Amino acid sequence: METFSLLLDGLAVAAQPSNLMFALIGVMLGTAVGVLPGIGPALTVALLLPVSLSFGATGSLIMFAGIYYGGMYGGAISSILLNTPGETASIMTAVEGNRMARDGRGGKALGAAALGSFFGGTFATLGLALVAPFMVMVALSFGPAEYFALMVLAFTTVSAAFGGSVVRGLTALFLGLAIGLVGIDKLTGQARLAFGFPELRDNISIAVVAVGLFAIGETLFVASQRVGADDKVEAVRGSVWLSLRDLKRCLKPYLRGTALGFMFGPLPTGGAEIPTFLSYSTERRVARGEARADFDDGRGAIEGVAGPEAANNASAAGTLIPLLTLGLPTSATAAMMLAGFQQYGLQPGPLLFTNSPDLVWGLVASLFIANVMLVVLNMPFVGVWVRLLMIPRPWLYAGILTFASLGVVGAQGSVFALGLLLVFGLAGFVMRRFGYPLAPVLVGAILGPLAEEQLRRGLMINQGDWSFLVGSGIALTIYAVAFLAVFGPVLWRLLAPKGAKTEFGMDTD
Amino acid sequence: MTHGADGAGEGRPQLAGRAGEGRPRPRVPERVSVPHRGRDLGGLLIAVALFALAAMIVSDASGYRIRRSYAQFGPEIFPYLVAAGLAALAVLTVGLAWIGGFPARDRLNAGPVAWIVGAIVAQILVLAAGLGFIAGSAVLFGGAARGMGRRPLVLTVLVGAVVAALLYVLFRHGLGLTLPAGPAERALDALFR
Repeated sequence: METFSLLLDGLAVAAQPSNLMFALIGVMLGTAVGVLPGIGPALTVALLLPVSLSFGATGSLIMFAGIYYGGMYGGAISSILLNTPGETASIMTAVEGNRMARDGRGGKALGAAALGSFFGGTFATLGLALVAPFMVMVALSFGPAEYFALMVLAFTTVSAAFGGSVVRGLTALFLGLAIGLVGIDKLTGQARLAFGFPELRDNISIAVVAVGLFAIGETLFVASQRVGADDKVEAVRGSVWLSLRDLKRCLKPYLRGTALGFMFGPLPTGGAEIPTFLSYSTERRVARGEARADFDDGRGAIEGVAGPEAANNASAAGTLIPLLTLGLPTSATAAMMLAGFQQYGLQPGPLLFTNSPDLVWGLVASLFIANVMLVVLNMPFVGVWVRLLMIPRPWLYAGILTFASLGVVGAQGSVFALGLLLVFGLAGFVMRRFGYPLAPVLVGAILGPLAEEQLRRGLMINQGDWSFLVGSGIALTIYAVAFLAVFGPVLWRLLAPKGAKTEFGMDTD
Repeated sequence: MTHGADGAGEGRPQLAGRAGEGRPRPRVPERVSVPHRGRDLGGLLIAVALFALAAMIVSDASGYRIRRSYAQFGPEIFPYLVAAGLAALAVLTVGLAWIGGFPARDRLNAGPVAWIVGAIVAQILVLAAGLGFIAGSAVLFGGAARGMGRRPLVLTVLVGAVVAALLYVLFRHGLGLTLPAGPAERALDALFR
């Protein structure tokens, strides 16, 4: 019951005009970047981090969450009409969605996607509100050993889940950890890896890392393989409103997708890719009758759009559970939101719920509002977003680069930061080219310093005795899960039949 | 393109993008296609870079002042752990490069990449010379758009100048962000005062 009164208080915060405006800006930006292939919510939050400092903590976090949710909605549009997923979360939507569009049922696919996003987002946000208080109670009993174990879990799973190779994932993670080392050591004041540059003594801003890796690296990567052919955008044909029959076909996929997304979102597996994939394959497997025929004849089945779209929005809500209650980001966008909290001197975790209940519950309540805004933006106004797909690529990417440099120059005020941006951009480009995932770099750079703090605090309490790390049952359990996360896929690959291997190389939500 | 030319099994969903070869498909996941056999020079270079990074961290950490505390370890312990991990991964990367374990790469389209990198460097130089945000961004925007195939350069730089001027007014006067000011910015500021 207490949850609901807190949620009502949160609703009062979220309904303040300025916060409503931030939510609206967030969902509109989110939908826009979701539609545009090549830029995603993680990058957008990174670009806005420096700029948003004047917005206040609650306002900017509401905006960031709106971007996250909006990205999940918008990604469906480019998947369906362009067959180019705007986000990795919408990859599975492209399969049946684009077939439906070519079959003249693009409107229906868009409608099913938007409603599915609303369904998944709303119910999973409700789940978030119910589960979070329990997680907070568990988390309050955690000490340095448990927190360190949790971070190891986040490190290993984020590295192992994507990139197709554990070695490449872990390499990306350790690059992130190395980036996190730079700067003054908090406990002793020792400058590390600064090489006499005053800019490096103040730590490398996570925004510079993220913008460099994603915006600059991505642009270079796209440019490096560009041949010049233009994309074919399918026109929206047919109404976006679903008939009762369509709704009936969608209901079960919505339920299953929401459940999958909500279950996988909080796990440190790197975002929405796994639940959307599972949702798609479930729908394909259980399809009967008309749905079966739609899947098999290549006309495009509405279930194949409905399930994954509910799943990706549900996973976005699920991701917020460990982020808010433990301070653990399990996707690239969540990692950027954590950086957003840190920018305001806030550390997500159990204490956040007692210290800033207004912010936490205002954020959760604003997610419901954002969902309503999004379904309105995406059903009647879908045509507006489709126009975004018509922006010529040279202008689009030149604009992204300009905005990226604006954020960095504006926040850091130094040309040195631009040099760093170029370095990380080149690194991101090489990593993309060689199939390294990028999310582990961010997670390493953000969580590395926190993990170090827990480790050294634990060592200090235990007078240099390392065995405290394995002295708690909870910590040991977490290590076991982390071990499985790294070696489970290897075992699975050995056991799975040949040809059933699917590997992902991208990771930006 | 590497996509779609590999063994996704029967009944498995195709991961996006079957239609249209050779267009930019930024978010489509790369799947590991048939590895090209033989050593991968690029991969070996990555391994060398990882070794160098590990060595750099160790040489930096070994110079920290020794402190005695209850922890028995000071600020050097975490860098050593990270360096050890990087060195181990460098060894594994050598192995990966040796067996051709990296995904197949498309031919590098070096021209556009050089244009964009050049545009960023040019922007840094313009800003360092104190010519201001608008001039720097115009150079960046123009160079990048030219690199992605839009010409002539004069047009793209002009468009960049207009875009940058709009961004400057929006963020400097709308949101109060401090941006490097040169002659063009001072003229605009005078207009808004």
